[in-house]
Amino acid sequence: MLNIGKEKVSLCSGLTRRSFLQAGVAGMAGLWLPDLLKLEAQGSVDPSRARIKNCITIFLVGSPGHIDTWDMKPEAPTEVRGRFRPIRTNVNGIQICEHFPLMARKMDKVSLIRSLHHRTGATHENGQRWMMTAHDFNADSIKPHSGSVISRVFGQKSELPANVILPGQIGNTGAGNLHGQSAGHLGSAHEPFFLGSDPAAPNFRVGDLEVPAGMSASRLDARRELLGQLDQLQRRTESRSTQAHDSSYNRAFRLLTSQRAKDAFNLNLEPARLRDRYGRNTFGQSCLMARRLIEGGVRYVTVNHFDTVFGQTCWDMHADGGGLNNTYLDYERHLCPQFDWAFTALLDDLEQRGMLQETVVAVLSEFGRTPRLNGRGGRDHYPNAWTNFVAGGNFRGGQVIGSTDRIGSRPHDNPIEPPQVLASIYRGMGINLDTTTMPGPGERPVRLVEAEPIPQLF
Amino acid sequence: MEQRFEGTPQATIRLEGRRLIRSEVSNDWGLLLRWEIKRNGQVVATVNARPDMRYEHPDTAPGEYTVVLQMWRYVNYAKNAQGEFTQSRFVNVSNVVTYRI
Repeated sequence: MLNIGKEKVSLCSGLTRRSFLQAGVAGMAGLWLPDLLKLEAQGSVDPSRARIKNCITIFLVGSPGHIDTWDMKPEAPTEVRGRFRPIRTNVNGIQICEHFPLMARKMDKVSLIRSLHHRTGATHENGQRWMMTAHDFNADSIKPHSGSVISRVFGQKSELPANVILPGQIGNTGAGNLHGQSAGHLGSAHEPFFLGSDPAAPNFRVGDLEVPAGMSASRLDARRELLGQLDQLQRRTESRSTQAHDSSYNRAFRLLTSQRAKDAFNLNLEPARLRDRYGRNTFGQSCLMARRLIEGGVRYVTVNHFDTVFGQTCWDMHADGGGLNNTYLDYERHLCPQFDWAFTALLDDLEQRGMLQETVVAVLSEFGRTPRLNGRGGRDHYPNAWTNFVAGGNFRGGQVIGSTDRIGSRPHDNPIEPPQVLASIYRGMGINLDTTTMPGPGERPVRLVEAEPIPQLF
Repeated sequence: MEQRFEGTPQATIRLEGRRLIRSEVSNDWGLLLRWEIKRNGQVVATVNARPDMRYEHPDTAPGEYTVVLQMWRYVNYAKNAQGEFTQSRFVNVSNVVTYRI
């Protein structure tokens, strides 16, 4: 049985495949190319003018305190400025936290956006929805993940899906399951492919790309041929949408038998020294895999740095002494060094392969953290001001966009709304935001994003 | 999923006069890497070793200095009432070198 979207499809072998095929990579067939051609024809998308061809989003689940990382306030009172000190970067006038010494040497490639803010509630999920879909929404009108939008507009470049999320989907972050990491009304054909396993594990493999033991490639081919004959019969009597699903069988088989797809996920093909350079941990190896997938033809990769905020180290620095007990020590010893090591490895690696200009790396989070330390020395949720950043993708680097007031409590100038970040990426990929629409609820056409790009990035 | 850390980090360090030189770290967990400097058996400094492969400790007080490269080993984020980690800790990832002033 093969799951395509919500449908179960019988295969002769009883072959079962989970998320990859469930998510509808297979169901994508027959849908994407007409979208791109149509959008090109009406002037809504112009790939020839695209400054960005690929996107890697690093999502810092839990959200770093902006004042402790990329918007430091060394002149602020003690209860605001925190424990860490700023250091200079390779761009005059830009300082960041001392625990990002390697990133400080690459600031010429980075645009810090220091005036992000949103006005919806201070839950992780609100921020996740804003930053990953450019919308706030509820369960009645789920908006698509940005990678799903790119999948819909541009389709696949290779056997690999257009939109991949590593290493797994976001789980419990406190207020429901609307994280903005689904295809929403774009449908199962554009659901992200969730890796669902840990690339840092010694026995790591992508189960969904494995042909079951005992089934040879030739046997699989024979079954594809038989299935093809059955499809021919069915096509004469069934609807167009069914035909799209039919042709998806071929795509599913191509995935299962594609050496290129398998290789893209195989980190053992990388030199040990490069794997070390990214960090032998889940996050670092996910960043390395992101580069491999982009190289292999994936258009949009999201790396979730952590999948929950409870009971483990992550950026959610409440210091509550219980289940939300991340503190400055976690930042100093684990979080900042781990990010600094992997992020700079990714930039170096992309640059050395000539891929950085066409690949934007966007580092996003849900919100900032309270300007004043709480009674336990932590910081709580704060959507009124925070910093995210982008690098590569022909965006201008070496700059700070916007600023906050002297204690980091509000945007001081050039306030930036969350949708402007994705609007910038979409525009950079050659999408005309004024004329491009997607099917919304009930197939009603809706704009991708209701915001203007950030002009300073271009 | 909890972050997984693969392998055991290993590096070598050596001295050129008082200047410390380290190798790259194999099986690098990517967490805080630091020089731990002791004088006469007491820790007198810990210094981030990520930015550079070389480091010269400025302290010139007389005594025997021993230096080792350490990395943070994350087991879990459990902490005691004072906020100190109870299971995660720094571990040595290199040989130890000694010099005398």
